[in-house]
Amino acid sequence: MVEDTRLIELKGISKSFGTTQVLKNIDLYIRRKEFVTLLGPSGCGKTTMLRIIGGFETQDEGKLIFDGKDLSGVPPYKRRVNTVFQKYALFTHMNVYDNVAFGLKLKKPEELLSGVSNPTRKQVKEEINRRVTRMLKLVKMDAYAKRSVDSLSGGQQQRIAIARALVNEPEVLLLDEPLGALDLKLRREMQLELKTMQQQLGITFIYVTHDQEEALTMSDTIVVMNGGEIQQIGDGKSIYDEPKNAFVANFIGDSNILDAVMVQDYEVFAAGRSFECVDEGFAPNEPVDMVVRPEDIMIVGEDVGMLPGEVKSVLFKGVHYEMFVEAAGFNWKVHSTSMYPVGSRVGLSVVPSNIHIMHKMKEQTAPAAEESK
Amino acid sequence: MVKKFFRGLKGSYIALILLFLYSPIAVMIAFSFNAGKSRAKWEGFSFKWYAELFNNSAIMEALKVTLIVAAIATVVSVILGTLGAIGIHASRKGYATTLLNLSYLPMTMPDIVTGVSLMMMFGFVAGFVKIERGMFTMILAHITFDTPYVLFSVMPKLKQMDPNTYEAALDLGCKPMKALWKVIIPEISPGIITGALLALTMSLDDFVISYFTTEKTQNLSILVYSAAKRGVKPDIYALSTIMFLTVLALLIIVNKRSTLEDIG
Amino acid sequence: MKRSYFSAPYAVWMVVFTIFPIVFVGLYAITTRRADGNDLYTGLANIGNIFGNEGTYMKVLWRSLSLALQCTAICLLLGYPCAYFLASKDFAKHKTLYVLILLPMWMNFLLRTYASMGLLERNGVINSIVTALGFKRLELIGTQGAVLYGMVYNYLPFMILPIHTVLKKMDQRVIEAAQDLGANPVRVFYKVTLPLSIPGIISGITMVFMPSVTTFAISGLLGSGNFMLIGDVIETQFMSANNWNFGSALSLFMTVLILISIGLLNRMDKSKTGNGGGKW
Repeated sequence: MVEDTRLIELKGISKSFGTTQVLKNIDLYIRRKEFVTLLGPSGCGKTTMLRIIGGFETQDEGKLIFDGKDLSGVPPYKRRVNTVFQKYALFTHMNVYDNVAFGLKLKKPEELLSGVSNPTRKQVKEEINRRVTRMLKLVKMDAYAKRSVDSLSGGQQQRIAIARALVNEPEVLLLDEPLGALDLKLRREMQLELKTMQQQLGITFIYVTHDQEEALTMSDTIVVMNGGEIQQIGDGKSIYDEPKNAFVANFIGDSNILDAVMVQDYEVFAAGRSFECVDEGFAPNEPVDMVVRPEDIMIVGEDVGMLPGEVKSVLFKGVHYEMFVEAAGFNWKVHSTSMYPVGSRVGLSVVPSNIHIMHKMKEQTAPAAEESK
Repeated sequence: MVKKFFRGLKGSYIALILLFLYSPIAVMIAFSFNAGKSRAKWEGFSFKWYAELFNNSAIMEALKVTLIVAAIATVVSVILGTLGAIGIHASRKGYATTLLNLSYLPMTMPDIVTGVSLMMMFGFVAGFVKIERGMFTMILAHITFDTPYVLFSVMPKLKQMDPNTYEAALDLGCKPMKALWKVIIPEISPGIITGALLALTMSLDDFVISYFTTEKTQNLSILVYSAAKRGVKPDIYALSTIMFLTVLALLIIVNKRSTLEDIG
Repeated sequence: MKRSYFSAPYAVWMVVFTIFPIVFVGLYAITTRRADGNDLYTGLANIGNIFGNEGTYMKVLWRSLSLALQCTAICLLLGYPCAYFLASKDFAKHKTLYVLILLPMWMNFLLRTYASMGLLERNGVINSIVTALGFKRLELIGTQGAVLYGMVYNYLPFMILPIHTVLKKMDQRVIEAAQDLGANPVRVFYKVTLPLSIPGIISGITMVFMPSVTTFAISGLLGSGNFMLIGDVIETQFMSANNWNFGSALSLFMTVLILISIGLLNRMDKSKTGNGGGKW
């Protein structure tokens, strides 16, 4: 389980490449044995953050604290952190076994065999062999030890990359979109395996992805990022249910986002009518974003619903139907297990606890405020 | 039927081109084994001219020069070119482009201009330092035209390599120099070896640039040139045959390597 | 130590042994050595000499250009079909044939020229066949034809290589698409294959024209010195006439000429491929 001690702390980290600032004053802490996912669209700064923790980039400003010590300026080969790279970066001139043994062979004999004084070459070799074999078993690749890495499939290379990093028993494993090159089915399998591995080994994982589903499946904590800034930190459920702003709502799952005005506590005005909600503490008549998840909208009879509308399109999505319903001048995305044909008149309804109110994002404040006047 | 006819036509054309390209070489090789002095009339098989070749001290001296120059130039150009490629690969774009364009220069400049320009520079330097146009200057010149070939053989291997390979080595505990030696160099070694073989071939083969960068010391090409000015002789045929077969062997190795890479 | 520093020795080497020597060519080209051993700035006088001297050098220059152009044209005419056939389905699998065509390219050009001498000389193989058949002995060596033969013989593989590469890489589906649209084989060739192979033709022309225009030794050996080319003149200036200044001026002039023609050819390449082949 996640321990309540802070293993890694980022304090006011900023980083620019040329004139573009990719990280803006990032504050974040990561606990021991936590599975943290950095989630965001490409270019949001998540990979740069990972590379700073790995030691491949140096921050322009701020501090990186690891286990109480400042890591700034410490090169990658002296950090108790290992990385699984995006395209694996396996050493193609070595076979599977030698790839996994690479890090162990670089360690001092005393490090490998603590408690043994003056270990012999044979002892060291046997210890390396023992650890490599155990790790290959863990990733289910023990039958491939003598194979060249070029002859492996993408999924198998992936496993070797994980084994090569984990065999060094790092305190933190960094994973940079490691499943990006795999097909959907394999991705799902590997997601579960990675999660199990992390729990078994009790290592902190920092995982970078742009795939929200992946993040929700595996993480203890999700850090949603955009434009070099952290948008929200929380576990999957809280981020999904209580997105802090329209970006998070839109990025995690599907959403209907409407310009709205918070009339008073528990009452919001949008789409031409007032809705009861559970939010409070906004300024009277503050312009806000109102977010409703497609699966939270119920389709009822035209006369009983809160908003009457017309079904404009229907798509079958496997488990549910995705329909667009035009009501009160807005195109509502609705997920439902029953299908309503295009053209049919329906009513839309939503319960107060499923209406999420959030502050307008900074960049959009000015135009949105004008609109509401 | 028609298809077969066209195939035959194409085949004969290719055969004619091959005949055009190889008949002089074939004649040369054949008559290097001629017992007589004639280059047109067959007088029986013999190794006479080869024996004479190995007893000719001038030719043996030129052979020695050729081999020493090629060996040193290859080693130095492989080191310079490989380090150069690694450096360029890790550099920012502007600097890298400038250096790459500079590398194209000796490849596009006419050989004769490269030759005379080096000759003049060596002449100028000789005014200050005691330096003679000879084996040493020839080696410098050979390194200069060999190195870009090594560079351009290594560059693609670096580009093909996973961009995180070097970082992965650091991540697993290598210090920068060790990462280079244990991971980067082995990863790009096919390119380095191809580059080395190319450099060796170019160096063994060069005439024009060597001709202008040496005075008294002759390599085999220069020796062939001065002999050719006096007319064709069978012992030079024998020498040319050996040189041709050497280059042929080297090229077969280079070619085998690159086709193997294509498959793998 | 940053990895980018690794290129420093290479960069220094290239500057010292490529840029500096070119500077010397430039310096010598714009000066003249006086009898007292001092160098005198004479501006473009040496370059002017190329055009002066009652046209002696212009004649040589003209001969060099004309022979190089003839050589390039013959190589293109001989080499294109060869590259095309080698890349065609019938022979694509015969990699050895292709390697055989390219092999002489890597062989010392002196050796190749020397081998041709043996074929062409007065008592050479051709003449012995000719006389054996009862004809009169031919004067082959020492003619302009022999020089041209030597050049074509030397540079033909340089034409075949780039054309073959482009033809080989050409997307077969484009050709199939053209056939599918109803073009007959001849039309497919003129409308699709040929325009698409222009980049190869252009680098072939560059690779043949460039070395053939500055070639030296070939004319001396096969033309018996009767047909001096610009490369031979440069060689003479440095090795026997001892006029480095004029030799440099000639070298500079030739280099500039070649760089301009490469530039023009590359531009042609770009505009041709830019509008998808254009009309040819």
